[in-house]
Amino acid sequence: MADLKTLVLGRKDVADLDEETELPHELMTVNMGPSHPAMHGTVRIILTVDGEKVVKSDVQPGYLHRCFEKESEYATYTQIFPYTDRLNYVSPMINNVGYAMAVEKLLGLTGKLPARAEYIRVIVSEVSRITDHMTCVGASAMELGAFGPFLFLLKCREWLYELLEKVSGARLTHSYVRVGGVAKDLPDGWTDELLYTLSQIDPVLVEVEGLLNNNKIFFDRMNGIGRMTREEAIKWGQTGPIARACGLDYDVRKDHPYSVYPELEFDVPVGTRGDCLDRYLVRVEEIKQSMRILRQAIAKLPDGPIMVDDHRVALPPKRDTYNTIESMIRHFKHIMDGIRVPAGEGYTFVEGGNGELGFFVVSDGTGRPYKCYVRSPSFVHLQTSGNLIHGHFIADVVPIFGMINMIGGECDK
Amino acid sequence: MSEPSNNVTLTIDGKAVTVAKGTNVLEAAKSLGIDISAFCYHPGLSIAACCRQCLVSVEKNPKLQPSCQQTVAEGMVVHTTDKQSTLARKQQLEFTLVNHPIDCPICDKAGECTLQKLYFDHDNANSRVDTPKVHKDKVVDIGPHIVLDQERCILCTRCIRTCDEVAHSHQLDMANRGDHEVLTTAPGEQLDNPYSLNTVDVCPVGALTAKDFRFTMRAWELDATPSICNGCATGCNIEIHHRNERAWRLVPRLNAEVNKYWMCDEGRFTYHELHEQRLAGPTLDGLPATWERALKAAGDRLGAIKDTGAIAVVLSATASNEDNFALAKLALAWKAQVYVGAKPPVPSRADDILRDADVNPNSAGVAAIAAALSITPKTTTELETNLGTGAIRALVVLGHDLPLAETARGRLKELDALIVIATHERGPAELASIALPMAAWAERAGTITNRQGKVQRMHGAFPGPGQAVPGWEAVARLANATGQKLSWTAAREVFKDMTAAVPAWKELAWTRDVRPFALRFAGSRG
Amino acid sequence: MSKKVLDALVAKFGDAIEKVEQVHGDEVAWIKRDKLTAVATALRDDAALAFDAPVFVTCIDRLDWKPVGVPPSEAWTEDKPRFEVCYQLRSTKHKHRIRLKIALPENDARLASLTPIWVGFDWQERETFDMYGIRFEGHPDLRRIYMYEEFVGYPLRKDYPKDKRQPLVRRPDLV
Repeated sequence: MADLKTLVLGRKDVADLDEETELPHELMTVNMGPSHPAMHGTVRIILTVDGEKVVKSDVQPGYLHRCFEKESEYATYTQIFPYTDRLNYVSPMINNVGYAMAVEKLLGLTGKLPARAEYIRVIVSEVSRITDHMTCVGASAMELGAFGPFLFLLKCREWLYELLEKVSGARLTHSYVRVGGVAKDLPDGWTDELLYTLSQIDPVLVEVEGLLNNNKIFFDRMNGIGRMTREEAIKWGQTGPIARACGLDYDVRKDHPYSVYPELEFDVPVGTRGDCLDRYLVRVEEIKQSMRILRQAIAKLPDGPIMVDDHRVALPPKRDTYNTIESMIRHFKHIMDGIRVPAGEGYTFVEGGNGELGFFVVSDGTGRPYKCYVRSPSFVHLQTSGNLIHGHFIADVVPIFGMINMIGGECDK
Repeated sequence: MSEPSNNVTLTIDGKAVTVAKGTNVLEAAKSLGIDISAFCYHPGLSIAACCRQCLVSVEKNPKLQPSCQQTVAEGMVVHTTDKQSTLARKQQLEFTLVNHPIDCPICDKAGECTLQKLYFDHDNANSRVDTPKVHKDKVVDIGPHIVLDQERCILCTRCIRTCDEVAHSHQLDMANRGDHEVLTTAPGEQLDNPYSLNTVDVCPVGALTAKDFRFTMRAWELDATPSICNGCATGCNIEIHHRNERAWRLVPRLNAEVNKYWMCDEGRFTYHELHEQRLAGPTLDGLPATWERALKAAGDRLGAIKDTGAIAVVLSATASNEDNFALAKLALAWKAQVYVGAKPPVPSRADDILRDADVNPNSAGVAAIAAALSITPKTTTELETNLGTGAIRALVVLGHDLPLAETARGRLKELDALIVIATHERGPAELASIALPMAAWAERAGTITNRQGKVQRMHGAFPGPGQAVPGWEAVARLANATGQKLSWTAAREVFKDMTAAVPAWKELAWTRDVRPFALRFAGSRG
Repeated sequence: MSKKVLDALVAKFGDAIEKVEQVHGDEVAWIKRDKLTAVATALRDDAALAFDAPVFVTCIDRLDWKPVGVPPSEAWTEDKPRFEVCYQLRSTKHKHRIRLKIALPENDARLASLTPIWVGFDWQERETFDMYGIRFEGHPDLRRIYMYEEFVGYPLRKDYPKDKRQPLVRRPDLV
């Protein structure tokens, strides 16, 4: 009997083992994703684990690559707006605005837009930022088991989506911004609805914070997990809430102000420890600051045109298009040839939901870009996630990944 | 201090430029990247200076000068961005647009219209008049290929000059004056000269439209690929305008030495045959077959006789240099008799403008290749004789231009093998025991040699139908099936071997493949 | 935005800098390929420059470069270098930015990787390699990032057709 055991188990009986005997073990390779409930937006991580601890990881993005850059080279400048919607698809307005600003820089229209257009852009951008942070916080909380906050935050998000749908016609794929302004004016009474919605969101945020902030389970799962130092954040090119959670005080809206942000008062929350908990706290505080910006912007929203009065970029009114040859030709050339942007190149960056979202546009004087490169913050952040999960348990991959807020569309372009 | 006497330096908008003597100011500005609007100016036609769109300010000259007519002079200072000339050009566009019909949605020229382009680039102001527009005749049938819309005409006279100077026949003229001036045919004439469709190219607006192209396709949907016309030995440089793997029209491309800016009407229609009666897959004894089966059958049938000299090969004066070179090399390996198949000449075509009596695009190329490989190709009459005597047991034909007498054609059925590498299901391909599909001239990269001995590069616009491959590749597959090794994988490699073999072509280099260019972003043509 | 950065660069590296320019308010410096590592290290370590944060790296393929509204001589011809690799850097302390450009010929598209200097360029250099075929020498793990390993060709190059398909799974309806 003892011989059979030795033969089969290759070792002595358990009763014969003592503390010095080392049990055989080896590293295991586990595949997470790309189709995985916690891998937001299709990312594959090949984990090499020692028991439960992650020893090595290989993060593989690219499962949502839809050739944004290649398609941009074959579309006119205005036709690219729907593509930009689908980059960071939880805050599409910010993508629209960033891209529009990149093209306007090459046209020399920066700072020449009518005030109402700029304020509308800021308003819809901040609404998009709120929806982005709500999705991130809600989904991450849900993955840790807190289903309530997820539902509450998504309820608020749905109110905001309804508002954005009234403005642009779609919940997510707005294509609302145009080069030189925005496509349509805000509907009557929209700003009042937005103020009301914000007042409804305030108590929900209080409720969510009450459920999560001092919750022992949530705290233990997020505190000290996925630490990144300020120096690492700089070295790795991190921006946005992740970098601010590490103590790096960098926000494009403050450091390189654009649009009408200089006229609005808001604070930028900065964390200290750079772990998942700080990232969560930074995001919730940013929601509140965005609401503060919104209230000011709505109060300051001026009347006026929503498109710059420049025939190079603005479509003529339909009545003229159908009745005069001049406007007919102008309309025709705008649609067919695209906006003729003088040859040149420029890099324009805005504060996206995730960090510095930049568009590097190279134009050759025709109506379509020669190159339109997106500096996507999620892509840059995802490359650190491999380092952040080292030494943590498999279960910690979930909050780390959730708090990095890698949006597949932006990461994979 | 002797300046070279054929260069002139002048200043345009503060930038100095040196151009050849006799250049006009408009062209000098173009070389600096300055785009002066113009309608009636065309570099291939005489100067009319009637549209007054290209007015610029020239210092020491109180009046504005038309830059197309103003020749450069040493030390001349020209301004195009000053208030006076800019206003003049804007106002000229405004005048042109006062009576222009709002036809853009139904006008063929939309998308490649010079009036649209110049208005948008140089004026872009709103209309200031509210009076009813002057009406003229809208759909005037002025010739077998062209329709005239008198309202759209901006009276630039480019078409009149084209007929006069290119086609040497005065068939168009202006009638009436002022608001009622119209383009019309000259008394007793129709617009039916063999170069009439060039007027459609030069017309800056949609006044003259081709019946062949009208309402079939929108210009902004088309892609353009440069190529060479395969209509005759002149080898006019063309662009194939295509979409969704179909050619929709051919237009001429500038080549100062071959065809300048023009091409003949017959050449323009050669794209129709690309989509008619095409051989899309191999056939074996009249039934469709796969390439493997067809090649295996070819290998079996030719295998027995390939070293006996009873194989004859027919090169084609309509196929490319590379196709002919490949087949000639194979013929040498088989020690086969070599003939050349060609379309019969059409002497009535020959004029000293562009058209040539030899309607084969590559006669010179076949001759050069045969000479370089020390082959003396025999004529089709000799082929008919040899078919009669039974000296030929197998015939490999490239292309489908093999004009044979009735009796000789009957003999084709008695051969051990009639292998035809062709684009269309007609001629010898119908009688073939094995037919191999070949990509047509618009579907492959290659070169052909025109009557001037120029080797001109063609680019493929879209792939051939079904399983068609370029001719040289079909030849290489056939060779490999019969035990000869021809290991080319790209036209570039065939070209390399070919130019090494033909002394006159030693210095030629293969240029990079050109990808189709979207016409939408080309601005305007004409 | 900050011309003194460009002036400092030229003063320090004279011959390694081919050209400096300000384009739409961005500072751009063209660096010679073999001097790139030296210049980059100094950009990071010099206290007055202090470029410590990587922003992006990408490549421009000039094969179809035929700009409109400029003299025709600006168009690309076969004798000009085909690729331009662009590195954008940022300084956290001084808040200035710079774009480095390196011209590479088509048949020798290699470049020293800047990942050893700024580790944040890791994945973006992989992306530039994947899309344009630029080989970054010294990169810790240069392999494709967006496309699958079996992919043939470099998709963002201008001569890669937009509608070309390379399915891994053979589908008869796509040929």
